[in-house]
Order: sequence, then C-alpha cells, then structure tokens
Amino acid sequence: MGRFVIRRLIQAVPTLLGILVITFALTRLSPADPVSLIVGDTFGITKADRDRLAEAYGLNDPIPVQFVKYLGKVAVLDFGNSFYYHRPVIGLIVERIPNSLQLSIAALVVGLLVGVPLGIISALVRGRLPDHAIRLMTVVGHAVPTFWFGLLFVLLLGVQLRWFPIGSMNAIGKEDDLGDRLWHMVGPVLTLSLGAISNYPRILRTEVLEVLGQDYVRTARSKGLREQVVVTVHVLRNALIPVVTSLGGILTILIGGSVIIEQIYNWPGLGRLLFEGLINKDFPLIQASVIIGSSLLVLSYILRDILYAIVDPRITTR
Amino acid sequence: MAVTAQAEGLVRAAEARRATAGLWSDALWRLRHDPTTIAASAVLCALVLLALGADLLASSFFHWSFSQQDILNSYGKPDGNDPAMWLGSDQLGRSQIVRLLYGGRISLFIGVFGAIVSLSIGIGIGVSAGYFRGRWDDIVVWLVTTLNSIPTLFLLLIVGFLFRLDPVSLAILIGCLGWTGITNFARGQTFALREREFILAARTVGASPARIMVRHILPNILPLMIVLAAIDIGGIILAESALSYLGFGIQPPVPSWGNMLTAASQFFTKGPWLVYPPGVMIAITVLCLYLIGDGLRDALDPRLRGAT
Repeated sequence: MGRFVIRRLIQAVPTLLGILVITFALTRLSPADPVSLIVGDTFGITKADRDRLAEAYGLNDPIPVQFVKYLGKVAVLDFGNSFYYHRPVIGLIVERIPNSLQLSIAALVVGLLVGVPLGIISALVRGRLPDHAIRLMTVVGHAVPTFWFGLLFVLLLGVQLRWFPIGSMNAIGKEDDLGDRLWHMVGPVLTLSLGAISNYPRILRTEVLEVLGQDYVRTARSKGLREQVVVTVHVLRNALIPVVTSLGGILTILIGGSVIIEQIYNWPGLGRLLFEGLINKDFPLIQASVIIGSSLLVLSYILRDILYAIVDPRITTR
Repeated sequence: MAVTAQAEGLVRAAEARRATAGLWSDALWRLRHDPTTIAASAVLCALVLLALGADLLASSFFHWSFSQQDILNSYGKPDGNDPAMWLGSDQLGRSQIVRLLYGGRISLFIGVFGAIVSLSIGIGIGVSAGYFRGRWDDIVVWLVTTLNSIPTLFLLLIVGFLFRLDPVSLAILIGCLGWTGITNFARGQTFALREREFILAARTVGASPARIMVRHILPNILPLMIVLAAIDIGGIILAESALSYLGFGIQPPVPSWGNMLTAASQFFTKGPWLVYPPGVMIAITVLCLYLIGDGLRDALDPRLRGAT
C-alpha cells in the first residue's frame, strides 16, 4: 500500500509538469504582448519603459531559458505579485482555498447521499414508476446548465421570495455563526452537487443491475437469505466500487464548476478569485489560480486512487 | 439532427455497398421503434430549422432584426399581439424571440463544429495510440491525463482571456480542448480490436498500418463514436453557454444563449421574463442530444447499454 501511494505520487510529477507547460505555452502563443500582460491596463507607459520591463522580466531570453526560470519560480511557489491587490498571489490563493473546499466537500457529500440511494432504488424497482421518474430526473439534470439552475435559485428563492440569502458566505456581523454559514451554503452546494446527483443514479443503476445478474447473487438467494441481506451484503458491496472510480469525473465538475457557482453566489473562493483576476486583467493571479486549481484536482485524483485501492485491494498489485 | 443525418447517410452508404449489411439497417429499424428517440430527433430538427431560418423568419415574420433596438420600449412585457414581442424585449428594447433564434444558431453551430473537431482529433489520436502503443501511447496518455487535470472551465477562461474569439475560433478551441474523453474510448476499443484475428489476417496479407486503422478498426468503433458525438455536442453547447455567460465566450452584440443570460441576470428586477427562455432552450437542446445519444447507443449496439 505504501509503495502504491509513493508510485502514485511519482506519477503525478509529469502531470504537474504538463500543466505548467500548457499554461506557459498559452501565454507565449497568445497574440497578447507579454509586457502588456505584466503591466495590465496601466496608462502612460513609453516604449523605453516597455523595453526595460521586457529585459527585467527576462522576456528577451530564449523560450527554453524562460521556461526553466519559470519552473524555478513555481517550484518555490513564487507566482509574482498581483498587480490589482499589490500582494503576493500565493497568499491570496491560500486564503481562498478553504472557502472553495467547504463548498466542494459539502457538495460531494450531498451528491453521494442523494445520488447513490436514488441509483439503488432505481435498479431495485426497475421498470416501475419511481425508476422512470429517477431516470427522467437524471437526464434532465444533465441537460440543465448548472449556472442557469443557480441563477434561478438566486432570483426566485433569493431575490423574489427572500427565503435564502442571495450570496456571500455570511450575513454581516455573523462571521462566526455556523448556522448562518450553513444557511448561506444551501444554494451553492445544491447547485454544485447537481452534477453528482444526476451522475450517480445512472452509474449505480447499471452497476446494481449487473451485480443482481451474477451467479453469487443467485446462490445467496437460493440458500434462503432474506432479500434485504442479499441486497445489502452481496449486491451493494460490489456495486459501490464504481462510486469510487467515478469520483474522478465528479471531482472535475466540483472544482471546475467552482468558477461559475462562486460567481453566481458571490462566494469568495478560488473560482471567484480567478474570475476577478480575469475581469481586472490581473495576469499573475489568473495563471496562479489555474495552476493551483489544477494541482488541487491532481491531488484529489491521487486521494481517489488511494481510496480505490482501499476499497478494491486488487488494484495495488497491478 | 446532424447526428441522425450522419447516421442515415452511413446507412445509405452501407446499403449501397452491401458490404456490412445488417448493422445500420438493423439500427434504423430499432430507432423507428423507439418513440423517445424519434420525439427528441423531431424536436431537435425543429430547433435546427428555426436556427437555419433565423434570417428569413426575422425579416418576413417578425419584421425585426436581431440588433434592432427600440430604447424607449426596453423591458417590454411579453405581448401576444406583436410576434416580435412574444417573449418581450430586453434592456435595449431588442426582440427577445428574434435574438433567441440567432442565439440558437450560434450555440448549435459551435456544438456541431466543435464536436467535429474534437471527434477528428480524438479518433485520430486514440486509434493510433491504441494501435501503435509504445512511446506514442505513453505521450498520449500523459497528454490526456494532463488535460484532464486542468478544470475545463479554467482552461477555457484563460484561453478566452488571452485570445479574442469569434464563433469559429471558439468552436475550434473547445474542440481542441475536449477530445480526451473520445480518445480514451477510441484507444480502449482499439486495444481490444488489434488482438483480434481479422486484424492479424490483414497484417499477414501485408496491409499497411494506415489501411488497417482506417478500413478495419475505424468501422468497428464508429457506432460508439457516433453516440459519443451526440453527447459531445450537448456538452460543448453547455460549455459554450457557461463561458459566454461569464463574458469570455461569444461577445455581445452577437447573441448567444449564454450571453443573453448575463444581461438577463443583471436586469432581473426589471425584466424577470428574460431569464427563462435562453435557459429553457439550452436545456431542451442538450436534453434532445443526450436522448438521441442514448437511443442511438441502444440501436447501434444493444450490448453497449450503459457504456457511456
């Protein structure tokens, strides 16, 4: 198991390197002048100033040299200063990560708690009304744009009916109030978990139906076990493995979706930071958010694989 | 619509050659007996026709162009008497229904064109990686893992920020970033197929790798790829609308369903009716594509049920 974890960590190195190559290449392929990206929308910059900046930032070096220098800086988590906040970018990001994680983890839990039982019910009563209703719900859930669902939630339940807050993490003056925080989380978490809620029932239904057709289930039934025991002990244990495997897709939705959800609900997380960076043309912040966001995704894939190895030990010996 | 048309074209081609008789005509027969897929195809056909006929409808039926403003009548409530005002008007007094038609044209175009790009790249890379294996396969796996590790919307946003995008380049770009899922499927299928006897036979008689991939492997994975194409179009439409909603996709004044929602959400208190139509249109379009994808999967190969 220890060796598996180490191997999995080593495998992540080329991926992280690839992320850096892609983010670096994009800035150099872009028609935008790198100096303009660095100084942003500052006015009154002369040609001589630009040349000096290009020299100072090493933009006249050969591309491979630039890339190696860039790697060196990223390795010590030096992403430069945000020119909107005039602070090191990494500090800004570290402050925001816990806020994003709150949403992602809560959404994952809600997605699992709702999605998994729905899938199992759907398979157990297949062909009957609840099955059709659940399947219809999951297909529609896939097709509805999450951001539109979020908008409707804010506009109808927040602005019009005033049942829920229309955004941000806390009411003013209630920064330490857990109940208030949970109250503010209802909307974003529900919206963010929509993907998992419509994904899991589909996966679970197929899997449970497949396991129900296995010989060992027939054996379990024929030796007179109660249906309840057959389902919980024999079917579910095996059908739950894909819940872990499909975590990958769900994690992508959770982390990638954070930009749009945090924007709609005005939630001060990593995604919102990226969006503010885009609006303010704060390039160091944009670049760093993409790299850190991707690294978080890589990290959660590793955790997923370790979890998978625990659930299904065969994987470590491969 | 594009997907079914493609499938029907292939069916006709297959019937003409009589070389692979069975699969496509069999699939068509099953599709005819699947009311959900037929209904979804019909709705999608109607949407495509509306989008294609947007110019004609705007000039001869609504008498209102998509950029025509009437600032004095902004936030006009939906009005059944004037066709151009059926869904009301927006913050600049533009006709919501006409803009919806043009927005549909953009969304469907980007969906179909982007899917063609991602399908071509995905199949090309996936089949060659699965067939040649070795070093090339390692590179492909690395590339797929890397791209999958960058949240799609993050990547699209940074690209939308760095490059000014018109609809065509946006479609190409989304296609160039979204091929990894198709590659995984194509690669996996090719892995299994290349060990089969008919591939060995082809190699024995001296067929070149290119010929084996195009003539022997491709036809075998095409059914699954057509299914993925339908789902891919839906996914791309969703990605485009999210990107445009955030302001880094299709830029106003060109209407897209996504950027119409940006304006609608900002002016919600004045014109709440503007929020529903674009979202409903996206949901219906994507829903039809997913249903068609499911239907095609079951029709083309019932054993694939649940594979996508």
